[in-house]
Amino acid sequence: MKRSIVHVLVFTLLILAPQFVISAVKVGQPAPDFTGTASNGKSYHLADYRGKFVVLEWHNNGCPYTQKHYKSGNMQNLQKQWTAQGVVWFTVISSAPGKQGFVNANEENKYLETMGAAPTAALLDPTGVIGHLYDAKTTPQMIVINPQGVMVYDGAIDNRPTENLKDIPGATNYVNLALGQSLAGRSVETAATRPYGCSVKYPGSWF
Amino acid sequence: MRPAEFRKAGSRSSCLRLLVLISLAGVGASAASIPHGTVDLVAEDQWIAPGHQCYLGINFHFEKGWHTYWINPGDSGQPPHAEWLLPAGLTAGEIEWPAPRRFGASTIADFGYDEAATLLVPIRAAASLQPNQPAQLGAEVFVLVCREICIPGKAHISLSLQIKSMPPKPDGSTRELFTAARKSLPRAAPGDWAISAIDANDSFMLIVNSGREITHAAFFPLEESQIDNSAPQKLKPAATGFRLTLRKSDQLLKPIKRLKGVLEVSANQNYVIDTAVRSTGSAKQMK
Repeated sequence: MKRSIVHVLVFTLLILAPQFVISAVKVGQPAPDFTGTASNGKSYHLADYRGKFVVLEWHNNGCPYTQKHYKSGNMQNLQKQWTAQGVVWFTVISSAPGKQGFVNANEENKYLETMGAAPTAALLDPTGVIGHLYDAKTTPQMIVINPQGVMVYDGAIDNRPTENLKDIPGATNYVNLALGQSLAGRSVETAATRPYGCSVKYPGSWF
Repeated sequence: MRPAEFRKAGSRSSCLRLLVLISLAGVGASAASIPHGTVDLVAEDQWIAPGHQCYLGINFHFEKGWHTYWINPGDSGQPPHAEWLLPAGLTAGEIEWPAPRRFGASTIADFGYDEAATLLVPIRAAASLQPNQPAQLGAEVFVLVCREICIPGKAHISLSLQIKSMPPKPDGSTRELFTAARKSLPRAAPGDWAISAIDANDSFMLIVNSGREITHAAFFPLEESQIDNSAPQKLKPAATGFRLTLRKSDQLLKPIKRLKGVLEVSANQNYVIDTAVRSTGSAKQMK
Protein backbone atom coordinates (compact mmCIF):
# COMPACT_ATOMS: atom_id res chain seq x y z
CA MET A 1 0.00 0.00 0.00
CA LYS A 2 2.61 2.50 1.19
CA ARG A 3 4.91 1.65 -1.67
CA SER A 4 2.22 2.34 -4.24
CA ILE A 5 1.57 5.73 -2.65
CA VAL A 6 5.29 6.47 -2.91
CA HIS A 7 5.22 5.41 -6.56
CA VAL A 8 2.31 7.67 -7.27
CA LEU A 9 4.09 10.54 -5.51
CA VAL A 10 7.32 10.02 -7.41
CA PHE A 11 5.43 9.75 -10.66
CA THR A 12 3.49 12.96 -9.91
CA LEU A 13 6.70 14.79 -9.06
CA LEU A 14 8.28 13.63 -12.32
CA ILE A 15 5.33 14.99 -14.26
CA LEU A 16 5.36 18.28 -12.39
CA ALA A 17 9.14 18.74 -12.36
CA PRO A 18 9.58 20.50 -15.73
CA GLN A 19 6.92 23.06 -14.75
CA PHE A 20 8.74 23.84 -11.52
CA VAL A 21 11.87 24.49 -13.53
CA ILE A 22 9.97 27.03 -15.64
CA SER A 23 8.45 28.76 -12.62
CA ALA A 24 11.88 29.26 -11.03
CA VAL A 25 12.29 32.46 -13.06
CA LYS A 26 10.91 34.96 -10.65
CA VAL A 27 11.94 38.16 -8.95
CA GLY A 28 13.74 37.39 -5.69
CA GLN A 29 15.23 34.20 -7.08
CA PRO A 30 18.62 33.52 -8.71
CA ALA A 31 18.83 34.58 -12.35
CA PRO A 32 19.40 31.49 -14.52
CA ASP A 33 22.92 31.37 -15.92
CA PHE A 34 23.67 31.42 -19.64
CA THR A 35 26.41 31.92 -22.15
CA GLY A 36 25.53 33.98 -25.20
CA THR A 37 27.30 34.90 -28.41
CA ALA A 38 27.17 38.59 -29.20
CA SER A 39 27.09 40.42 -32.52
CA ASN A 40 30.64 41.62 -31.76
CA GLY A 41 31.77 37.99 -31.96
CA LYS A 42 32.53 37.66 -28.25
CA SER A 43 31.01 35.20 -25.84
CA TYR A 44 29.40 36.43 -22.62
CA HIS A 45 28.82 34.29 -19.53
CA LEU A 46 26.32 35.77 -17.07
CA ALA A 47 28.06 34.31 -14.01
CA ASP A 48 31.18 36.34 -14.88
CA TYR A 49 29.26 39.49 -13.96
CA ARG A 50 28.64 38.73 -10.31
CA GLY A 51 29.36 41.91 -8.41
CA LYS A 52 27.68 44.05 -11.06
CA PHE A 53 24.11 44.91 -11.93
CA VAL A 54 23.02 43.34 -15.20
CA VAL A 55 20.11 44.47 -17.39
CA LEU A 56 18.57 42.14 -19.98
CA GLU A 57 16.59 43.88 -22.73
CA TRP A 58 14.58 41.71 -25.14
CA HIS A 59 14.76 43.26 -28.58
CA ASN A 60 13.13 43.05 -32.02
CA ASN A 61 13.97 45.90 -34.41
CA GLY A 62 10.74 45.37 -36.42
CA CYS A 63 8.42 45.56 -33.43
CA PRO A 64 6.55 48.89 -33.11
CA TYR A 65 6.98 48.83 -29.32
CA THR A 66 10.75 48.37 -29.60
CA GLN A 67 10.84 51.09 -32.25
CA LYS A 68 9.04 53.45 -29.88
CA HIS A 69 11.98 53.30 -27.48
CA TYR A 70 14.70 53.42 -30.16
CA LYS A 71 13.26 56.09 -32.49
CA SER A 72 12.82 58.33 -29.46
CA GLY A 73 16.32 57.57 -28.21
CA ASN A 74 14.89 56.46 -24.89
CA MET A 75 16.53 53.03 -24.86
CA GLN A 76 19.91 54.37 -26.01
CA ASN A 77 19.80 56.99 -23.24
CA LEU A 78 19.09 54.32 -20.64
CA GLN A 79 21.94 52.18 -21.97
CA LYS A 80 24.39 55.09 -21.85
CA GLN A 81 23.23 56.38 -18.49
CA TRP A 82 23.48 53.03 -16.73
CA THR A 83 26.54 51.49 -18.38
CA ALA A 84 28.36 54.72 -17.42
CA GLN A 85 27.62 53.75 -13.82
CA GLY A 86 29.05 50.26 -14.22
CA VAL A 87 25.84 48.43 -15.09
CA VAL A 88 26.21 45.63 -17.64
CA TRP A 89 23.54 45.82 -20.36
CA PHE A 90 22.73 42.90 -22.64
CA THR A 91 20.32 43.39 -25.51
CA VAL A 92 18.93 39.92 -26.27
CA ILE A 93 17.52 39.06 -29.70
CA SER A 94 15.48 35.84 -29.53
CA SER A 95 13.80 36.11 -32.96
CA ALA A 96 14.14 32.89 -34.93
CA PRO A 97 15.59 32.89 -38.48
CA GLY A 98 12.94 34.08 -40.95
CA LYS A 99 10.95 35.84 -38.25
CA GLN A 100 10.60 39.52 -37.50
CA GLY A 101 13.62 40.95 -35.75
CA PHE A 102 16.03 38.16 -36.70
CA VAL A 103 19.44 39.59 -37.56
CA ASN A 104 22.89 38.24 -38.24
CA ALA A 105 25.94 39.72 -36.51
CA ASN A 106 26.71 42.22 -39.29
CA GLU A 107 23.16 43.46 -39.49
CA GLU A 108 23.01 43.94 -35.73
CA ASN A 109 26.34 45.76 -35.62
CA LYS A 110 25.11 48.13 -38.33
CA TYR A 111 21.85 48.65 -36.45
CA LEU A 112 23.66 49.43 -33.18
CA GLU A 113 25.80 51.98 -34.98
CA THR A 114 22.95 53.60 -36.92
CA MET A 115 20.75 53.88 -33.85
CA GLY A 116 23.55 55.04 -31.57
CA ALA A 117 22.74 52.15 -29.26
CA ALA A 118 25.20 51.44 -26.47
CA PRO A 119 24.51 48.13 -24.74
CA THR A 120 27.51 46.24 -23.33
CA ALA A 121 26.71 43.67 -26.02
CA ALA A 122 23.83 42.45 -28.22
CA LEU A 123 23.37 38.72 -27.69
CA LEU A 124 22.12 36.71 -30.67
CA ASP A 125 19.70 34.05 -29.44
CA PRO A 126 18.10 32.68 -32.63
CA THR A 127 17.18 29.36 -31.00
CA GLY A 128 15.42 31.20 -28.16
CA VAL A 129 17.41 29.39 -25.45
CA ILE A 130 18.05 32.50 -23.36
CA GLY A 131 14.54 33.81 -24.02
CA HIS A 132 12.91 30.59 -22.83
CA LEU A 133 15.28 30.41 -19.85
CA TYR A 134 13.83 33.72 -18.65
CA ASP A 135 10.36 33.01 -20.05
CA ALA A 136 10.61 36.31 -21.96
CA LYS A 137 7.22 37.13 -23.48
CA THR A 138 7.59 40.47 -25.21
CA THR A 139 9.87 43.02 -26.80
CA PRO A 140 10.84 45.13 -24.99
CA GLN A 141 10.82 43.04 -21.80
CA MET A 142 13.31 44.16 -19.17
CA ILE A 143 15.04 42.20 -16.44
CA VAL A 144 17.37 43.59 -13.77
CA ILE A 145 19.78 41.29 -11.93
CA ASN A 146 21.62 42.48 -8.81
CA PRO A 147 25.33 41.92 -8.00
CA GLN A 148 24.40 38.78 -6.03
CA GLY A 149 22.88 37.29 -9.18
CA VAL A 150 19.29 37.69 -7.97
CA MET A 151 16.50 39.01 -10.20
CA VAL A 152 15.22 42.28 -8.74
CA TYR A 153 13.00 43.43 -11.61
CA ASP A 154 11.07 41.62 -14.35
CA GLY A 155 8.56 43.25 -16.65
CA ALA A 156 7.76 46.29 -18.75
CA ILE A 157 10.12 49.13 -19.48
CA ASP A 158 7.57 51.68 -18.25
CA ASN A 159 3.95 52.13 -17.24
CA ARG A 160 2.57 53.11 -20.67
CA PRO A 161 1.91 49.98 -22.74
CA THR A 162 1.60 51.65 -26.14
CA GLU A 163 3.67 52.01 -29.31
CA ASN A 164 3.21 55.79 -29.32
CA LEU A 165 6.40 57.85 -28.99
CA LYS A 166 4.39 60.64 -27.35
CA ASP A 167 3.82 58.38 -24.33
CA ILE A 168 7.49 58.36 -23.33
CA PRO A 169 7.75 61.81 -21.66
CA GLY A 170 6.20 61.58 -18.22
CA ALA A 171 6.10 57.77 -18.14
CA THR A 172 7.34 55.97 -15.03
CA ASN A 173 10.41 54.07 -16.15
CA TYR A 174 10.58 50.86 -14.13
CA VAL A 175 14.19 50.10 -15.12
CA ASN A 176 15.37 53.47 -13.82
CA LEU A 177 13.43 52.91 -10.61
CA ALA A 178 14.73 49.37 -10.10
CA LEU A 179 18.37 50.34 -10.71
CA GLY A 180 18.08 53.61 -8.80
CA GLN A 181 16.51 52.01 -5.75
CA SER A 182 18.88 49.01 -5.81
CA LEU A 183 21.98 51.20 -6.14
CA ALA A 184 20.74 53.26 -3.20
CA GLY A 185 20.63 50.03 -1.19
CA ARG A 186 16.86 49.92 -1.05
CA SER A 187 14.52 47.18 -2.17
CA VAL A 188 12.75 47.62 -5.49
CA GLU A 189 9.22 48.95 -4.95
CA THR A 190 7.73 47.78 -8.25
CA ALA A 191 9.59 44.53 -8.79
CA ALA A 192 7.33 42.84 -11.35
CA THR A 193 4.95 44.18 -13.98
CA ARG A 194 3.29 42.83 -17.09
CA PRO A 195 5.85 43.23 -19.88
CA TYR A 196 4.18 44.90 -22.84
CA GLY A 197 4.90 44.84 -26.55
CA CYS A 198 5.15 42.30 -29.35
CA SER A 199 5.41 38.63 -28.56
CA VAL A 200 8.96 37.27 -28.77
CA LYS A 201 9.26 35.60 -32.20
CA TYR A 202 10.51 32.21 -31.01
CA PRO A 203 11.08 29.30 -33.39
CA GLY A 204 7.74 27.61 -34.01
CA SER A 205 5.62 30.47 -32.69
CA TRP A 206 2.95 31.49 -35.13
CA PHE A 207 1.72 34.87 -33.93
CA MET B 1 -21.47 30.33 -34.66
CA ARG B 2 -20.81 31.96 -37.98
CA PRO B 3 -19.47 28.93 -39.91
CA ALA B 4 -22.59 26.92 -38.99
CA GLU B 5 -24.80 29.74 -40.20
CA PHE B 6 -22.98 29.75 -43.50
CA ARG B 7 -23.60 26.05 -43.85
CA LYS B 8 -27.30 26.34 -43.01
CA ALA B 9 -27.75 29.16 -45.45
CA GLY B 10 -26.77 26.78 -48.28
CA SER B 11 -26.90 28.53 -51.64
CA ARG B 12 -27.04 31.90 -49.93
CA SER B 13 -23.60 31.32 -48.49
CA SER B 14 -21.67 32.43 -51.57
CA CYS B 15 -23.80 35.54 -51.65
CA LEU B 16 -23.03 36.21 -47.99
CA ARG B 17 -19.34 35.62 -48.58
CA LEU B 18 -19.43 38.10 -51.41
CA LEU B 19 -21.01 40.65 -49.07
CA VAL B 20 -18.31 40.00 -46.50
CA LEU B 21 -15.67 40.43 -49.18
CA ILE B 22 -17.24 43.68 -50.31
CA SER B 23 -17.30 44.99 -46.77
CA LEU B 24 -13.70 43.84 -46.29
CA ALA B 25 -12.75 45.76 -49.39
CA GLY B 26 -14.03 48.87 -47.67
CA VAL B 27 -16.93 49.51 -50.05
CA GLY B 28 -19.40 49.67 -47.14
CA ALA B 29 -20.94 53.02 -46.33
CA SER B 30 -18.45 54.22 -43.73
CA ALA B 31 -15.99 51.32 -43.45
CA ALA B 32 -12.49 52.60 -42.95
CA SER B 33 -9.41 50.58 -43.64
CA ILE B 34 -7.08 49.36 -40.92
CA PRO B 35 -4.07 47.06 -41.36
CA HIS B 36 -5.44 43.76 -42.75
CA GLY B 37 -9.05 44.66 -42.10
CA THR B 38 -11.75 47.25 -41.86
CA VAL B 39 -13.66 49.06 -39.15
CA ASP B 40 -16.99 50.85 -39.32
CA LEU B 41 -19.38 52.50 -36.95
CA VAL B 42 -22.93 51.19 -36.70
CA ALA B 43 -25.96 52.36 -34.74
CA GLU B 44 -28.59 50.19 -33.12
CA ASP B 45 -31.36 52.77 -33.35
CA GLN B 46 -32.72 54.77 -36.27
CA TRP B 47 -32.35 58.09 -34.49
CA ILE B 48 -31.15 59.66 -31.27
CA ALA B 49 -33.82 60.37 -28.67
CA PRO B 50 -32.99 63.09 -26.10
CA GLY B 51 -32.90 61.67 -22.55
CA HIS B 52 -32.28 58.13 -23.77
CA GLN B 53 -29.29 55.86 -24.12
CA CYS B 54 -28.50 54.21 -27.41
CA TYR B 55 -25.78 51.86 -28.54
CA LEU B 56 -23.14 52.24 -31.20
CA GLY B 57 -20.97 49.38 -32.39
CA ILE B 58 -17.34 49.60 -33.44
CA ASN B 59 -17.40 46.84 -35.98
CA PHE B 60 -14.11 45.18 -36.95
CA HIS B 61 -13.43 42.74 -39.76
CA PHE B 62 -10.05 41.09 -40.12
CA GLU B 63 -8.43 39.16 -42.92
CA LYS B 64 -7.93 35.50 -42.17
CA GLY B 65 -5.26 34.95 -39.54
CA TRP B 66 -5.20 38.53 -38.21
CA HIS B 67 -6.56 39.55 -34.85
CA THR B 68 -6.82 42.32 -32.28
CA TYR B 69 -7.11 42.23 -28.52
CA TRP B 70 -9.45 42.02 -25.54
CA ILE B 71 -9.32 44.54 -22.67
CA ASN B 72 -6.64 42.31 -21.13
CA PRO B 73 -4.53 41.43 -24.15
CA GLY B 74 -2.68 38.64 -22.36
CA ASP B 75 1.07 38.26 -22.78
CA SER B 76 1.51 40.70 -25.65
CA GLY B 77 -0.50 43.18 -27.68
CA GLN B 78 -2.76 46.06 -26.77
CA PRO B 79 -6.55 46.49 -26.72
CA PRO B 80 -8.16 48.84 -29.25
CA HIS B 81 -9.33 52.20 -27.98
CA ALA B 82 -11.54 54.98 -29.27
CA GLU B 83 -11.37 58.73 -28.88
CA TRP B 84 -14.86 60.03 -29.43
CA LEU B 85 -15.81 63.12 -31.38
CA LEU B 86 -19.40 63.81 -30.36
CA PRO B 87 -21.63 66.88 -30.41
CA ALA B 88 -22.37 68.52 -27.06
CA GLY B 89 -25.06 66.60 -25.17
CA LEU B 90 -23.84 63.17 -26.27
CA THR B 91 -21.45 61.17 -24.08
CA ALA B 92 -19.84 57.82 -24.79
CA GLY B 93 -19.58 55.21 -22.04
CA GLU B 94 -17.05 52.42 -21.65
CA ILE B 95 -16.63 49.73 -24.30
CA GLU B 96 -18.52 46.52 -23.53
CA TRP B 97 -16.03 43.81 -24.46
CA PRO B 98 -17.18 40.55 -26.08
CA ALA B 99 -15.79 37.37 -24.56
CA PRO B 100 -12.35 36.81 -26.07
CA ARG B 101 -10.71 33.77 -27.54
CA ARG B 102 -7.23 32.61 -26.88
CA PHE B 103 -4.34 32.81 -29.32
CA GLY B 104 -1.31 30.98 -28.21
CA ALA B 105 1.98 29.34 -28.75
CA SER B 106 3.48 27.16 -26.07
CA THR B 107 4.80 29.90 -23.77
CA ILE B 108 2.89 32.99 -24.88
CA ALA B 109 -0.89 33.37 -24.90
CA ASP B 110 -2.92 36.36 -26.00
CA PHE B 111 -6.65 37.12 -25.71
CA GLY B 112 -8.61 38.75 -28.49
CA TYR B 113 -10.74 38.57 -31.58
CA ASP B 114 -10.19 37.34 -35.11
CA GLU B 115 -12.50 37.35 -38.17
CA ALA B 116 -14.96 39.91 -36.82
CA ALA B 117 -15.81 41.62 -33.56
CA THR B 118 -18.28 44.32 -32.55
CA LEU B 119 -17.42 46.45 -29.54
CA LEU B 120 -20.61 47.92 -28.08
CA VAL B 121 -20.48 51.44 -26.70
CA PRO B 122 -23.41 53.09 -24.87
CA ILE B 123 -24.10 56.69 -25.89
CA ARG B 124 -26.06 58.85 -23.48
CA ALA B 125 -28.14 61.63 -25.01
CA ALA B 126 -28.90 64.56 -22.71
CA ALA B 127 -32.58 65.44 -22.27
CA SER B 128 -31.71 68.99 -23.28
CA LEU B 129 -30.50 67.87 -26.73
CA GLN B 130 -32.15 69.96 -29.45
CA PRO B 131 -34.31 67.74 -31.72
CA ASN B 132 -34.87 67.95 -35.48
CA GLN B 133 -31.23 68.23 -36.43
CA PRO B 134 -28.59 65.74 -37.51
CA ALA B 135 -25.78 64.66 -35.19
CA GLN B 136 -22.41 63.62 -36.56
CA LEU B 137 -20.98 60.83 -34.38
CA GLY B 138 -17.34 60.06 -34.90
CA ALA B 139 -14.42 58.31 -33.32
CA GLU B 140 -10.72 57.99 -33.85
CA VAL B 141 -10.03 54.28 -33.42
CA PHE B 142 -6.57 53.01 -32.51
CA VAL B 143 -6.09 49.31 -33.09
CA LEU B 144 -3.18 46.91 -33.04
CA VAL B 145 -3.63 44.18 -35.66
CA CYS B 146 -1.42 41.11 -35.36
CA ARG B 147 -0.75 37.80 -37.00
CA GLU B 148 2.86 36.78 -36.65
CA ILE B 149 3.78 40.45 -36.55
CA CYS B 150 1.85 43.44 -35.21
CA ILE B 151 0.85 46.56 -37.09
CA PRO B 152 -0.62 49.55 -35.30
CA GLY B 153 -3.49 51.19 -37.15
CA LYS B 154 -5.64 54.27 -36.80
CA ALA B 155 -8.95 55.02 -38.49
CA HIS B 156 -11.62 57.66 -38.40
CA ILE B 157 -15.14 56.26 -38.35
CA SER B 158 -18.36 58.21 -38.29
CA LEU B 159 -22.04 58.19 -38.98
CA SER B 160 -24.84 60.70 -39.00
CA LEU B 161 -28.07 60.23 -37.05
CA GLN B 162 -31.08 62.49 -36.80
CA ILE B 163 -32.10 63.75 -33.34
CA LYS B 164 -35.84 63.25 -32.87
CA SER B 165 -38.08 63.84 -29.88
CA MET B 166 -39.66 60.40 -30.32
CA PRO B 167 -38.98 57.19 -28.42
CA PRO B 168 -35.97 55.32 -29.89
CA LYS B 169 -36.66 52.74 -32.58
CA PRO B 170 -34.25 49.93 -33.54
CA ASP B 171 -32.78 49.94 -37.02
CA GLY B 172 -33.74 46.67 -38.74
CA SER B 173 -30.63 46.68 -40.91
CA THR B 174 -28.30 46.41 -37.90
CA ARG B 175 -30.50 44.24 -35.69
CA GLU B 176 -28.71 40.96 -36.42
CA LEU B 177 -25.33 42.51 -35.81
CA PHE B 178 -26.35 43.90 -32.41
CA THR B 179 -28.10 40.65 -31.43
CA ALA B 180 -24.92 38.73 -32.23
CA ALA B 181 -22.76 41.30 -30.41
CA ARG B 182 -24.91 41.01 -27.26
CA LYS B 183 -24.75 37.23 -27.43
CA SER B 184 -20.97 37.39 -27.40
CA LEU B 185 -20.87 39.49 -24.22
CA PRO B 186 -20.10 37.67 -20.99
CA ARG B 187 -23.18 37.48 -18.74
CA ALA B 188 -23.72 37.15 -15.03
CA ALA B 189 -23.38 33.53 -13.95
CA PRO B 190 -26.66 31.70 -13.28
CA GLY B 191 -28.03 32.62 -9.85
CA ASP B 192 -27.90 29.06 -8.55
CA TRP B 193 -24.18 28.67 -9.24
CA ALA B 194 -21.82 28.83 -6.29
CA ILE B 195 -18.44 30.20 -7.34
CA SER B 196 -15.38 30.44 -5.13
CA ALA B 197 -11.63 30.65 -5.48
CA ILE B 198 -8.75 29.53 -3.31
CA ASP B 199 -5.11 30.47 -3.25
CA ALA B 200 -3.26 27.15 -3.43
CA ASN B 201 0.46 27.98 -3.33
CA ASP B 202 1.54 28.27 -6.96
CA SER B 203 -1.96 28.36 -8.39
CA PHE B 204 -5.51 29.54 -7.89
CA MET B 205 -8.31 27.06 -7.87
CA LEU B 206 -11.63 28.24 -9.27
CA ILE B 207 -14.42 26.11 -7.85
CA VAL B 208 -17.81 26.19 -9.54
CA ASN B 209 -20.83 24.37 -8.21
CA SER B 210 -23.30 24.54 -11.07
CA GLY B 211 -25.50 21.61 -10.09
CA ARG B 212 -24.54 19.79 -13.28
CA GLU B 213 -21.43 18.31 -14.80
CA ILE B 214 -19.34 20.68 -16.90
CA THR B 215 -16.62 19.21 -19.08
CA HIS B 216 -15.21 22.30 -20.74
CA ALA B 217 -14.10 25.50 -19.04
CA ALA B 218 -11.60 28.22 -19.87
CA PHE B 219 -10.86 31.24 -17.72
CA PHE B 220 -9.76 34.61 -19.10
CA PRO B 221 -8.31 36.86 -16.39
CA LEU B 222 -9.51 40.46 -16.47
CA GLU B 223 -6.44 41.72 -14.65
CA GLU B 224 -2.96 41.26 -15.96
CA SER B 225 -0.18 39.44 -14.09
CA GLN B 226 -2.48 37.32 -11.94
CA ILE B 227 -2.41 34.02 -13.75
CA ASP B 228 0.09 32.49 -16.15
CA ASN B 229 -1.73 33.06 -19.45
CA SER B 230 -0.06 30.26 -21.38
CA ALA B 231 -0.14 27.57 -18.68
CA PRO B 232 -2.66 24.78 -19.35
CA GLN B 233 -5.75 25.22 -17.19
CA LYS B 234 -6.46 21.92 -15.51
CA LEU B 235 -10.15 21.07 -15.38
CA LYS B 236 -11.43 18.54 -12.90
CA PRO B 237 -15.11 17.85 -13.63
CA ALA B 238 -17.37 16.74 -10.79
CA ALA B 239 -20.99 15.62 -10.76
CA THR B 240 -22.09 19.05 -9.61
CA GLY B 241 -19.59 21.31 -11.31
CA PHE B 242 -15.83 21.51 -11.64
CA ARG B 243 -12.54 22.79 -10.32
CA LEU B 244 -10.22 24.71 -12.59
CA THR B 245 -6.56 25.07 -11.64
CA LEU B 246 -4.95 28.30 -12.82
CA ARG B 247 -1.23 28.67 -12.45
CA LYS B 248 -0.11 31.97 -10.93
CA SER B 249 1.82 34.44 -13.01
CA ASP B 250 5.55 34.77 -12.35
CA GLN B 251 4.90 38.51 -12.14
CA LEU B 252 2.49 38.04 -9.23
CA LEU B 253 4.41 38.77 -6.04
CA LYS B 254 1.57 39.62 -3.64
CA PRO B 255 -1.63 37.80 -2.67
CA ILE B 256 -4.75 38.95 -4.52
CA LYS B 257 -8.12 39.62 -2.90
CA ARG B 258 -10.38 38.90 -5.86
CA LEU B 259 -10.22 36.85 -9.01
CA LYS B 260 -11.98 38.59 -11.90
CA GLY B 261 -12.44 37.48 -15.44
CA VAL B 262 -14.57 35.63 -17.94
CA LEU B 263 -15.35 31.95 -17.72
CA GLU B 264 -16.18 30.19 -20.96
CA VAL B 265 -18.09 26.93 -20.61
CA SER B 266 -19.19 26.76 -24.26
CA ALA B 267 -19.00 28.97 -27.33
CA ASN B 268 -21.97 31.13 -26.37
CA GLN B 269 -21.87 30.67 -22.61
CA ASN B 270 -19.44 33.14 -21.12
CA TYR B 271 -19.87 34.25 -17.56
CA VAL B 272 -18.47 37.14 -15.56
CA ILE B 273 -16.41 35.94 -12.62
CA ASP B 274 -15.69 38.27 -9.69
CA THR B 275 -15.02 36.23 -6.59
CA ALA B 276 -13.06 36.58 -3.37
CA VAL B 277 -9.87 34.54 -3.10
CA ARG B 278 -9.54 32.57 0.13
CA SER B 279 -6.19 31.26 1.27
CA THR B 280 -6.00 27.58 2.14
CA GLY B 281 -4.77 26.14 5.42
CA SER B 282 -1.85 24.54 3.64
CA ALA B 283 -0.89 27.85 2.09
CA LYS B 284 -0.82 29.41 5.57
CA GLN B 285 1.41 26.62 6.83
CA MET B 286 3.80 27.18 3.97
CA LYS B 287 4.33 30.81 5.01
